[in-house]
Amino acid sequence: MLQAHSFLWNFLWVAPNVILLALGVLLSRRGYSREFPAFLSFAILSAAGDLAVYCADIVPFISAIIFWRVQWAGFVVESVLKFLVIGEVLSRFLSPYPSVARLGRYFVSGFGAVLILVAAVAAAFARGDSSVWLISGFHVVEQTVFIVQLGLIMSLLLFAAYFRMSWDRLSFGIVLGLGISACGHLVTWALIANANPSAQQRTWLAFFNMAIYNVCVLIWGYYLLIPSKVPRKTNSPALPNHNLDLWNRELERLLQQ
Amino acid sequence: MTIAILLILAAAFALIFIVLITISRSLQVSGTDLVGQIRPIDIEAFRNLIDAAENEFLRRRLPATEFRVVQRARLRAMAAYVLSAGRNAAVLVRVGQTALASSNLATVEAARQLVDNALLLRRNATFALLRIYIALAWPHEGPTAALVLHGYETLNGTAMLLGRLQNPAAPVRISSTL
Repeated sequence: MLQAHSFLWNFLWVAPNVILLALGVLLSRRGYSREFPAFLSFAILSAAGDLAVYCADIVPFISAIIFWRVQWAGFVVESVLKFLVIGEVLSRFLSPYPSVARLGRYFVSGFGAVLILVAAVAAAFARGDSSVWLISGFHVVEQTVFIVQLGLIMSLLLFAAYFRMSWDRLSFGIVLGLGISACGHLVTWALIANANPSAQQRTWLAFFNMAIYNVCVLIWGYYLLIPSKVPRKTNSPALPNHNLDLWNRELERLLQQ
Repeated sequence: MTIAILLILAAAFALIFIVLITISRSLQVSGTDLVGQIRPIDIEAFRNLIDAAENEFLRRRLPATEFRVVQRARLRAMAAYVLSAGRNAAVLVRVGQTALASSNLATVEAARQLVDNALLLRRNATFALLRIYIALAWPHEGPTAALVLHGYETLNGTAMLLGRLQNPAAPVRISSTL
């Protein structure tokens, strides 16, 4: 069952892309194209690209070199779109908070610059798993991109957690899916680029990668299609009198000085 | 292989953090006792600690070594106050964000103002804390935490306004004072 090109393999590769493509089309019909243009572009183009790579894999007359070139092209487009999605979420997340918006942008950008250095060092020390640059280079670049991507998402989540800022449902869903996907993919590419796994282990890693991606697409579907619970108006935590009294006392003392 | 292990560990920690954030977010949706987490601070004592004149007085009166010991103690106390102010601000961010769901426009506006002031205070408290910790190494001059105090005072006002809008029947003593 856990063999390359088995039914499960094909299903895990095709299904998330079909779902993501459908999700992208559905969301653009619902008018989300103005709210999340980068995410919608990512959903549609990345799914189409991945399906093209799948076709290149199964069609017998496509050579290995062409397959890897298609893989490279798809990966470059997908990576650029993912970074645009992160930027879009960052901008959307910070816009209601003008007092810390600039600090947030500096924090995430600064963290990004450090991550690029870390990723470059990791890439320089990668062993490379193939004598063909087209293949080993692809794995190292994948590792590099996922280090930066995961780091940016973590910096955004850390910033929000530190300031106790709340996420809107859609942005959080997108970040959650991207974060989990980056964690799983980073593990896979770090192992492939540095640990030189056997053919069987590579197949298992591919299954792991695809399974993670399926979960992420389902997360995006859940957060983007299912509406959030309507908050109960009565549940808002009114400031209690005793606390207000304490605060008032302090303020009165200040005014009497 | 070492790099692979390091990256796998980093990914595992990141995943744990993401899961924890997701769980805490769902707990917030179900509602928790937020205001119970607020720890009132003595603003007068805080003001006294950051008073530049007091600092200058101690410097003139005490020998250099003794001044450094006293100043370190004052800085530690100042750090505790700033930390409390920052924590209270974080709680008030949540309080304000919850109140944003209100149907009353005035409450929403007050809540938005509270969130903005609380975030500003949390930011200033973070920077002030950094300066205090640096000053602890060389307690020559007291770092200014005036921005934190000013922010805390502003936050008092906005929190009271929101409290009054949420619960108009509650007696707010500041009105009678003014």
